[in-house]
Amino acid sequence: MASVMLSEAEKLYIVHGVQEDLRVDGRGCEDYRCAEVETDVVSNTSGSARVKLGETDILVGIKAEMGTPKLEKPDEGYLEFFVDCSSNSPELEGRGGEELGTDIANTLYRVFSCENSVDLKSLCINPKEHCWVLYVDVLLLECGGNIFDAISIAVKAALFNTRIPKVRVLEDEEGTKEIELSDDPYDCIRLNVDEVPCIVTLSKIGYRHVVDATLQEEACSLASLLISVTSKGAITSMKKVGKGSLDPESIFEMMETGQRVGKSLHIALQKILDEEENLGTSRPKVGFLG
Amino acid sequence: MPLDHRRLRGPEESQPPALWASAAAEDEEDEEGAGAAPRDPCALRPLFARAGLLSQAQGSAYVELGSGTKVLCAAWGPREAAEPGPGRLICEFRRAPFAGRGARGRPGAAAEREAEREAAAALREALEPAVRLGRYPRARLAVSALLLQDGGSALAAAVSAAALALADAGVEMYDLAVGCALCRPPAPAASWMLQPAEPEERRAAARLTLALLPALNQVSAVLGGGRGGPPEDWAQALRLGLDGCHRQYPVLRQSLLRAAQRRDAAAAA
Repeated sequence: MASVMLSEAEKLYIVHGVQEDLRVDGRGCEDYRCAEVETDVVSNTSGSARVKLGETDILVGIKAEMGTPKLEKPDEGYLEFFVDCSSNSPELEGRGGEELGTDIANTLYRVFSCENSVDLKSLCINPKEHCWVLYVDVLLLECGGNIFDAISIAVKAALFNTRIPKVRVLEDEEGTKEIELSDDPYDCIRLNVDEVPCIVTLSKIGYRHVVDATLQEEACSLASLLISVTSKGAITSMKKVGKGSLDPESIFEMMETGQRVGKSLHIALQKILDEEENLGTSRPKVGFLG
Repeated sequence: MPLDHRRLRGPEESQPPALWASAAAEDEEDEEGAGAAPRDPCALRPLFARAGLLSQAQGSAYVELGSGTKVLCAAWGPREAAEPGPGRLICEFRRAPFAGRGARGRPGAAAEREAEREAAAALREALEPAVRLGRYPRARLAVSALLLQDGGSALAAAVSAAALALADAGVEMYDLAVGCALCRPPAPAASWMLQPAEPEERRAAARLTLALLPALNQVSAVLGGGRGGPPEDWAQALRLGLDGCHRQYPVLRQSLLRAAQRRDAAAAA
């Protein structure tokens, strides 16, 4: 991960501030930075979203393609994640960026491994033969700390924005398959994102933990806990990252905080997505120029 | 023998016949499982640990769990590294091609290598807090774990074996890292079970692996996923796992002591 060099005095300043529930930019320990979410920024995809959380900038594009279902689950579609970090900084080019990318992709696979996060049965066209495969491609445009949270918000927004065309595969007498697409371009399947979880990263600094750490705060924290929370408050995955160890009591506290923060994050995100949806085509598009 | 491509070309991908025979066989299995007495969720399976068995490696350990998981681990002490900076711990996790219960995947397959790399990263996460890397500047410590048979809780056993191997190699550590796995069956109000066997793990709705440094009571790794539920359920699972780790600790310490005694006896003789 891109890192910042901090002197001991700066680290001490950050740690002492966190003890008093006051971070360098004035936030409390459980406050997120100002986030901008915009969907439908890339027109060649089935769904896309861009999230700017402070300095961190993530772009997610989802393409829905027809494929064959997996052998163990013949009546479900599936998701494939790919994360690209190379545009970020010189130290992340080549091997370093690839490792970080696979690490993030594996985390996303684990977060979405819970069966009811996305309704995979709605992605099935003909059992055992055709299904929709959603290729979720994440681009890390700028790393400003707390990339996992931003990526999960972007993935949820992009899934909400995804429009999959309605398709029927007909087989005639000779056995040739014919794909029938409906004539109306707006006739499509939308995904239900109520159960999609969001990742909340809690970094341990001193004796307290903070949500949404900046790069400087990440440099002061030895251990963090990544929790993925659904909008109803259920936790779907947990992972500890970092070189340090955690006290069991801290883990329990972090889980409580993560659930609380995750629920309010979901409410705020859903409100914004619904507002965008209601504006429809009259929404002013900002894209990359704003 | 090299493949003769002019002859019958088999399909590019082959699948195990068990996938199609599953319907009848699984019913039998389920009945057997339900008929047997339900397992005590807090029961720890018997654990066998032995350190100092490989002569070529500086430190080694073998851990076997009652459910059939066998892990062999070797560790090499500090070697000089080219890059300046604090010491680094390099972990490797390999699965034997015959380790899994299902079909033998091709050993070089991409999915296989991905899973191994992920497990190696998890192993490193679990061991780094335990090793005093500050005492080995500009050095590389290598640990290599080989899973001989997967009977469930493989990563947890690998963590225990790797910590034992590092301690056997004489690397300075704060404490031994003890690994423990839990899983929760798909039934609606099921409780978490310690150290699942392979069929239980496959059918589980949620899994959790954790590593603990028992003497310091610090958790060095948590890795879990699935439909766990509210934080209270996960907290309960964590407590059960921590208790399991504490109970396994004396066995591992005993095996280290015995290995040291054996080494002394061999040196004296």
